[in-house]
Amino acid sequence: MGVVHGQEMVLNIGPQHPATHGVLRLQVKTDGEVISEITPYLGYLHRCFEKHCENVSYEQVIPFTDRCDYLASMTMNFGYVVAMEQLMDIKVNDRVEYIRVIMAELQRIASHLLATGVFGLDLGAFTPFLHMLRDRERIIDLFEMTCGARLLYNYMWVGGLSHDLPKGFVEATLKFLDYFEPKIDEFENLLGHNKIFVERTADIGIMPAEVAINYGVTGPNLRASGVNWDLRKDNPYSVYSKLDFNVPIGKGIKGTVGDSWDRFYVRLQEIRESVKIVRQAIDQLPKDGDVHQSMPKKIRPPKGSIYSRTESPRGDLGYYIESDGSDTPYRLKMRSPAFTALGVLNEIAGGWLMSDVLAILGSLDIVLGEIDR
Amino acid sequence: MKRYFTDIYESVSSILGGMSITLVHLFKARNDNVTLQYPEEKWPRPERNIGFDHNSYNVIRSRLHVDMDDCIGCLKCERACPVDCIKIETEKAPARGEDLKEIKHKGVTSNGTRKALVVTRFDIDMSECCYCNLCTYPCPEECIFMTGGPNAKKHPIDYEFSEPDRSDLIYRFAKKGAKEGLAELNNSKQEAEA
Repeated sequence: MGVVHGQEMVLNIGPQHPATHGVLRLQVKTDGEVISEITPYLGYLHRCFEKHCENVSYEQVIPFTDRCDYLASMTMNFGYVVAMEQLMDIKVNDRVEYIRVIMAELQRIASHLLATGVFGLDLGAFTPFLHMLRDRERIIDLFEMTCGARLLYNYMWVGGLSHDLPKGFVEATLKFLDYFEPKIDEFENLLGHNKIFVERTADIGIMPAEVAINYGVTGPNLRASGVNWDLRKDNPYSVYSKLDFNVPIGKGIKGTVGDSWDRFYVRLQEIRESVKIVRQAIDQLPKDGDVHQSMPKKIRPPKGSIYSRTESPRGDLGYYIESDGSDTPYRLKMRSPAFTALGVLNEIAGGWLMSDVLAILGSLDIVLGEIDR
Repeated sequence: MKRYFTDIYESVSSILGGMSITLVHLFKARNDNVTLQYPEEKWPRPERNIGFDHNSYNVIRSRLHVDMDDCIGCLKCERACPVDCIKIETEKAPARGEDLKEIKHKGVTSNGTRKALVVTRFDIDMSECCYCNLCTYPCPEECIFMTGGPNAKKHPIDYEFSEPDRSDLIYRFAKKGAKEGLAELNNSKQEAEA
């Protein structure tokens, strides 16, 4: 008996759907419950980031970069200021660099906690989500202590930081890390090795390494496919070259290399590595150094352009800035890692069941603010 | 056959593992409570616990406030705002650094700067504000700030500022009647000269 083909049906998931992580519309062609084609439709959250940047001065761009990837604002600021400092040839002192690394890695922990928690939530696991959100809240409290804001920080400025670390921040961070490290094992037991979760994610949505590379997928999604590529190691910016950490890659422990479970597990391992990096950075943090030392009085970069990339929690975040010598950017383009991750969805989700599509989408960890910009 | 029994074993053990974590949390619930009965209880704001040099830093994001007595009308905050939610209009004062009692204008700021301008309009649309704090840094007189935190002495924290009408979120800081009062003053001065 051959496979029975029914009538193809076009189904819309979203734009108002909790599992699409924002306002994303997926047009799905289904045959029964089997997906044959997925077309993502974007633009529901488009805020003209790139055009808007052409009309504001360089320092005013930073609050807008916050709002692109609103779950990892620190790293968005980081990427922008690294690009601007290369364009203007500014060298910031070590204290600034270490504070930036501490902030970026804490942000990576917070972002991955939300990503893995929401991934579980998509599959019906509510408890791990609450546990992870509770600990993310503590990181956000640390950020609030530093710069007053909880989500959209505007903390890293071109040539420095908006202000130095508060007294007691280092102690509070170490206290948090001591509390948090055993919790990672708890998350792994609670969600990662849960039989229901493994059944829903292992061997589902396999992304082979060549597909990931061809589509330009970066970050944890690429590393889960077994490719050892991390800009913090392979193209070190800031002080990452002085820090010792491993790059976790997908090994296919529960199924095949590059399946949804691997993408989850790589994120969980990255949280461990980030904890390691924060501890080292706090150890090496120079005691003195003015965070405003190399801040230019007026940001007016020379004529020219720069493309600079950093590793955001979602992957390779690139900024292309073209300057015409005035105090506003002539053109600013952002290469968003979540956009490419969404692009690969049709390739890896075709042929799976309807319920698996949401699992695969959750495992890619997309943020719509960054995709639409 | 082996697969069948491993599946059963893994299901039972993972469920028991998860439940044991839940059980631990059940007994720790009182110590580890994260739920807050919001309107009655409030989360302690971190600014109480940290030792900032409160004079030089502004580390709070809440509603903006302007001390009009200190504002010299330099427009730096208006230029710094990325969303253009601050609107300022100024007029030349009749004499630099002199008080104008008719419109409650103070001539000298608390930093000792003598004002050359009278601010006739200082509107901040808080519904447009993106809380980036960029306007507070360039202010030479430190008169625009987010309320609370280091500024609690000047202005207590107030982060629950919902309004029934959107237009109530446009804060008008300029002294009422400053524009008309100033025009009247100038008129009477001209008449006196004539």
